[in-house]
Amino acid sequence: MGELWRRISYLFNRRRLDAELESDMEFHREMAARAGRNNFGNSLRMREQSREAWGWTWLDRLLQDLQYGARILVRSPGFTIMVALVLAIGISVNVSAFSLFNMMALKTLPIRDPGSIVRLERRAPNASTSEMAYPSFAFYRDHAHALSAAIAVLGIPPIQIDDDLQNTSASFVSPNYFSELGTPPLYGRFFEPALDGSPASQPAVILSYGLWQRRFSADPSVVGRVIRIGRKPFTVVGITPYTFASLGGQHPDLWLPIAQQPYLIDNSKVLADWNSSSIRMWARLAPGVSAKAAEQELRALTDEIRKQHHDAVWDDEFIHSSPGGHLQVMQPEMYQVALMVGILTLLILAVACTNVGGLLLARGITREHEMGIRIAIGANRKRIFRQLCTESIMLASLGAVIGIFLSYAILRVALTQLDAPKWLSPVPDWRVLLFSMGVMLLAAIFFGFAPALQIARQRQRKTIARQILLAAQVAASCVLLIVSGLLARAAQHMLFTDPGFGYENTISINPYLDQHGYSETAAKSYLDQMQSRLAALPGVHSISLVRLPPMGHIVSREDTEINGRKIKIYPNWVTPGYFQTMQIPVLLGRTFQSGEKHSVIISRSYAHLVWGGKNPIGQRVPNSDSKGIVIGVVGDAHINALNDDDALEAYYAAQSDNMPGMVIVVRSSGLPSAVETAARSFSESIDPKLLPEMHPLKDLYQDITLQIEQISAVVSLIGIVAVLLAGIGIVGLVAFSVSQRTKEMAIRLALGATKRRLCAALLRQFTWPILSGLLAGTALAAFASRFLRVALFGVSNLDPLGYAAALTVLIAIIAVAGLLPARRALRLDVARALHYQ
Amino acid sequence: MFNRPKEGMPPGALPMLILRVLQSGSLHGYAIAQRIHVLSSEVLAVEEGLLYPTLQKMLVKGWVTADWGISETNRKVRFYRLTPQGRAQLKAELAGYNRITQAIQDILRTA
Repeated sequence: MGELWRRISYLFNRRRLDAELESDMEFHREMAARAGRNNFGNSLRMREQSREAWGWTWLDRLLQDLQYGARILVRSPGFTIMVALVLAIGISVNVSAFSLFNMMALKTLPIRDPGSIVRLERRAPNASTSEMAYPSFAFYRDHAHALSAAIAVLGIPPIQIDDDLQNTSASFVSPNYFSELGTPPLYGRFFEPALDGSPASQPAVILSYGLWQRRFSADPSVVGRVIRIGRKPFTVVGITPYTFASLGGQHPDLWLPIAQQPYLIDNSKVLADWNSSSIRMWARLAPGVSAKAAEQELRALTDEIRKQHHDAVWDDEFIHSSPGGHLQVMQPEMYQVALMVGILTLLILAVACTNVGGLLLARGITREHEMGIRIAIGANRKRIFRQLCTESIMLASLGAVIGIFLSYAILRVALTQLDAPKWLSPVPDWRVLLFSMGVMLLAAIFFGFAPALQIARQRQRKTIARQILLAAQVAASCVLLIVSGLLARAAQHMLFTDPGFGYENTISINPYLDQHGYSETAAKSYLDQMQSRLAALPGVHSISLVRLPPMGHIVSREDTEINGRKIKIYPNWVTPGYFQTMQIPVLLGRTFQSGEKHSVIISRSYAHLVWGGKNPIGQRVPNSDSKGIVIGVVGDAHINALNDDDALEAYYAAQSDNMPGMVIVVRSSGLPSAVETAARSFSESIDPKLLPEMHPLKDLYQDITLQIEQISAVVSLIGIVAVLLAGIGIVGLVAFSVSQRTKEMAIRLALGATKRRLCAALLRQFTWPILSGLLAGTALAAFASRFLRVALFGVSNLDPLGYAAALTVLIAIIAVAGLLPARRALRLDVARALHYQ
Repeated sequence: MFNRPKEGMPPGALPMLILRVLQSGSLHGYAIAQRIHVLSSEVLAVEEGLLYPTLQKMLVKGWVTADWGISETNRKVRFYRLTPQGRAQLKAELAGYNRITQAIQDILRTA
C-alpha cells in the first residue's frame, strides 16, 4: 500500500524529483572529476532508467500515443468523422437495445426495498396462469410466514367516470399496495388497511397523475370530491405523483380498494370464489427469507388448500416466484427474445466494424510511408501495433460518445411514443455506461485489430484480411435483411391474407354476467333477451355466443402431444351459430345442436395432423383433456392466437353452466357503432347494473396488425441501415483496389483489352468473399429465424419469397456498389495514367 | 562462454551493500559509491549507471528516503537515509546472504 502511495506521489512530483535526481548526478560528476575520473556515463539514459523504476513508463507512452493519434485523426477530419459516425450508428443501436432491456429487467423500481418484492404465480407441470383466486390469495397472505406482506391486484375493464363518453382504465388493489411501495402521494392520502380494508368503509378512489391533469385540470381540491365510477359514488382521496412507479408496469388511471369490488360490481362473487382466477399476487419476502424458502412454504400451503378445496388447485400445483422489483417480470421466453434482439444488434455493430476495418486497411496503404519512417528510426512492431490500437480505441471512443447521445435521443422519443411510466429516464445509468464501454472495446478490437496487425507487420498490401472483412459484412447484412424481409412478409400477410374469419362489421359484447353473480338461468334469460332484441335491429345478420371472446384478454390453451409432436390446442365454447357469425367455413360434417354434449368440432389443421387425409368424423380425439366425438371440421381461424400459425382449435358446444361467462358476437352490415349504442341501451333496460364491454373486432385486429407493422418497420429500418453501411463499405473497397491497379489497367487497355473483361478482372477478387458471405448469411438466418416463428403470423421462417426478396435487394446493392467505382475507373486516360506512374 | 561479472560485483549485491553503508548514517550518492569502493579495498566499483536506478528502486520500496543536505564542497545535495523498513530489509538480506555463502562454503570445503 505504502509503495503504491509513493509511486502516486512520485507521479505528481515527477518534475521536481527528476530535477533533483539530475542535480544528484551532476554533483556525482563533479566529485568524480575532482577524483580524476571523467568517464561518467550517459546521464540522460541513466535518468530514463531511474525513472523506469517508478513504473510509470506505460503512462508516458500512452500519452505519447494519444497525442500522436489525436494529431493523425485531426489531420484527416473527413475520415475521422465518417468512421465515428459509422461506429456511432452501430454502437447506438446496441446501447439503445441494452438500455431498454436495462429499464425492463435490470433497473429496480424506485420503491422501498425493491429487492424483496416477488411476483407469485400458479404453476403446474402442464399448466400455468398469472392469476389466482382471491380466497387462495387471502389464505397465502394469512398463513405464509415467509412473506411479510402480500399484495393483490385485480384488473378490470375500462370503466365510466360520471357521464364520460370514453372509459377510463382502473384496477383494484389490496389496501397495503401503496404503503408497501413506500411512495408518498402527491395530494391527499393513499389507501390504508385501517381505512380502506373493509367493504363497509367509505368507497375511496385514487387518481393517476395523468388523469388528474387531463380530466380534473390539475385541481388539488378534487381530493375529497365524490365522483361516480360505473355509476357508483366514490370519494377521491389521493393523487399519485408524476413519477409513480407501480408493480408490473401497470399504470391504470383509477386505483380502487379491492374491498369495494362487490360494491362496484353488484353481486360479484369474485372475492369469495375459490375457482375464479383473477388476482395478480405480489409479495414482500420477510427479512432474511430467500425466494426458494418462500416457495417451499407456499407449496405446503398449496397442499393445505387442496385438502379443503379440491377443485381450486391443479394436480402438482405449486407457486412460482420471480423477482418483482423490476418494470417487467421476465419470463424465460422473454430472455429468448432479448437474446434474439441482442444478436441482431450485434450484427449491425459487426457490419459497422467491418466497414471501418476495411477503411482502416485501405488507409494502411497510404500510411506505408509513415510506418516505414517510424520503423527506420527505431520503432519496433509492438510499439507501432500499440500505437495503431490506441488510434482505434480513440476512434471507437469518439463513436461511443456520439452513439450514447444518439441512443439518448432515440430513447427519449421511444419512451414518449410508448407511453412508458414517467419514472423511466432516457439518461444512461452506470450499467448502460459500462455496457457502452464494453461495446466500444469490442468494436475497437473488431475493426482495429486485424488492420493494426497487418500494418504493423508491414503487410498492408495483402488482400486476405480485406476479403474476410467483406465476407463478414455481406453475411451480417444478409441476416439482417432476411429477418426484416420475413417480418415485412408477416405484416403483409396479416394485412392482405384472409385470417380465416370475418372481422369487418363484427362486434363483441361482454356483459361480465359472472362477475355480477348471475345464475345460469338469469344469465340465459339476459342473453336470450339481448339476442332477440339485437336480431331485430336492421342490418344484423348473425348473432351467437362464445365463451372466450375473439382477440380478447383471456385465452385458454392446452399443451399436449399427438403423434410425437408438441401441439397447442386453443379450445373454445360456442353456440351453434358461431361459425356463421365469425364466417368460419364448415368444411366437413355439421355444426353443433344447441347444448350438444360429448362432441367436438376441430380445425382443418388439427384434423390433418391427427388423421392425415382420412375422414375424422365420428372419431375420438386422442390425448386431449376433454374427450369427444368429432362431428365437424371447420377452417383454421387462429382467433385467439393470431401470431401463432401452429395453433389448433377445438370447439365445444356451450352448456348451460357456461352461460354466465358468455360473450355475444354480432355481425351486421351497418356501422358497428350503431349496434354498440343499441346494445348498450338494451342492456341498460334489462339490467342497469351491468356495464358491458364492447369491441369492434376490426379495431382489435388493426391494433394487432399495427403492432406487427411497427415492429417490422423498425427492423426494416435497421436492416436498411445495415445494407447501406455494407454498400458504402463495398464502394470504398472496390474504388480502393481499382486505384491500386490503375497502372495495370492502363497497360491492359493499351494492349487492347476490352473494358468488359477488365471490369470482370477487377471484380473477380470480390466474387468469392461475396458469395461465401451470402451463403453463410442465408444459412445463419435460416437457423436463427426459427426463434422468430411465433412472431411471424403464419409466414414460414423459411418463406422463399422473403428470402428471395432480401437476397435480391442485397445482390442489387452489392452489384451497384461494385460496378459504379469500377466503371468510373475504366474511364481513365491511358496515356496520362502510364505517364503519371 | 563464462560471463565474468563487471568488477567482481555479484549480481543483486548492490542493494544490500548500499543498505549496509547507509546503516551508519545518511550519505549522498557519490559518497555511497566511494564508501563501497574504499571499504572493499578498491575491489568493487559502483557504476553510476547502476547506482542511481538502484537508489530509485530503493526509494520506491521505501527502504531509503532522500533529504536535502550540504555536501563537503558546500553544495546542496540529497542525502540518502535508511528507513526502519530499510533496516529490516538489510537484516533479511544479510541473513539470506549469510545462508547462501555458508552453503557455498560448505560445498567448496567438502566437494
